[in-house]
Amino acid sequence: MTNREKLALLENMLELEEGELNEEIKLSELENWNSMAKLSLIVLMDDEFGKKLSGEQIRRFETIKDILNFME
Amino acid sequence: MINPMDLSEKIILVTGASSGIGRVTAIQLSKLGGRVVLVARNKVKLNETVDMMEGRGHTVYSFDLIQIEKIEELIRQIILENGALNGLVHCAGIAPMRPLGLTKADFLHNVMLINFYSFVELVRCVSKKKNYQIGASFIGISSTSSRIGDKSKVAYCASKAALDSAVRCMAKELAEKGIRVNTVMPGFVKTGMYTDYMREYSNASDAKKILARQYIGITEPEEIANAVAYLLSDSAKTITGSSFLVDGGSLS
Repeated sequence: MTNREKLALLENMLELEEGELNEEIKLSELENWNSMAKLSLIVLMDDEFGKKLSGEQIRRFETIKDILNFME
Repeated sequence: MINPMDLSEKIILVTGASSGIGRVTAIQLSKLGGRVVLVARNKVKLNETVDMMEGRGHTVYSFDLIQIEKIEELIRQIILENGALNGLVHCAGIAPMRPLGLTKADFLHNVMLINFYSFVELVRCVSKKKNYQIGASFIGISSTSSRIGDKSKVAYCASKAALDSAVRCMAKELAEKGIRVNTVMPGFVKTGMYTDYMREYSNASDAKKILARQYIGITEPEEIANAVAYLLSDSAKTITGSSFLVDGGSLS
């Protein structure tokens, strides 16, 4: 999966417009990075990548790039 | 001395008996004299449960309830090897959290299969002639989640509400066979599911609100097992079609 495709998954999850996200964006700057978004990310990782994502791991994510790296 | 919850000579099927409420229920029923048929996926854990039980004659069946079309054959085998049942307790259940935006039909279906459809199929099969004994009692483990909604729990809450609703119909339909059908409706209970939830969400404000609601304390699984035992016993012979709250006050 390309980075653009991964970004599209996150944009869809966060209900953002296509192209709105880039790797450098800090999660703390995203308005809707809340508990439901975090739970959605856990589900997305499981559904799309077969990866278990813990709450502890999420707390270590700082930027969109950190999430993309975890997806690999 | 009398024991109103005496289960001597009773044969009781317990699903989900490898952990949590199911395991504690199997153990408690054995201490009250019941002979238990344990069903769950994991045979090793089922045998661990048997090691913690009292009495003799308990049997173990490793089975995944997701194979719903094979439940009929499982029940046929269980009745053949153990005799007609006095009781059925459906403790098997899953509680995955998923925001509405990702709750699609396949996810809903999976939760409903384990938590609800398998209970209906078990009751359908066990309530057939020669598979049950007069005075039999069937119990589903529901949850206060059937009455209190929460974010990300559409599938779980709906599956538990489905159980409560179904037992009211089953109770009426099976009364003429002398079968009673109820649910036990716990709030927060100290099980592995609870520990997992607290590890991930104990700091979330929602979790704190939910716990505060259960103002008299978190329920020990033995208390749920005792509620089940009471509904199984002949002491409860006119209780049917009900949902027995054991909720630490959370719905009051």
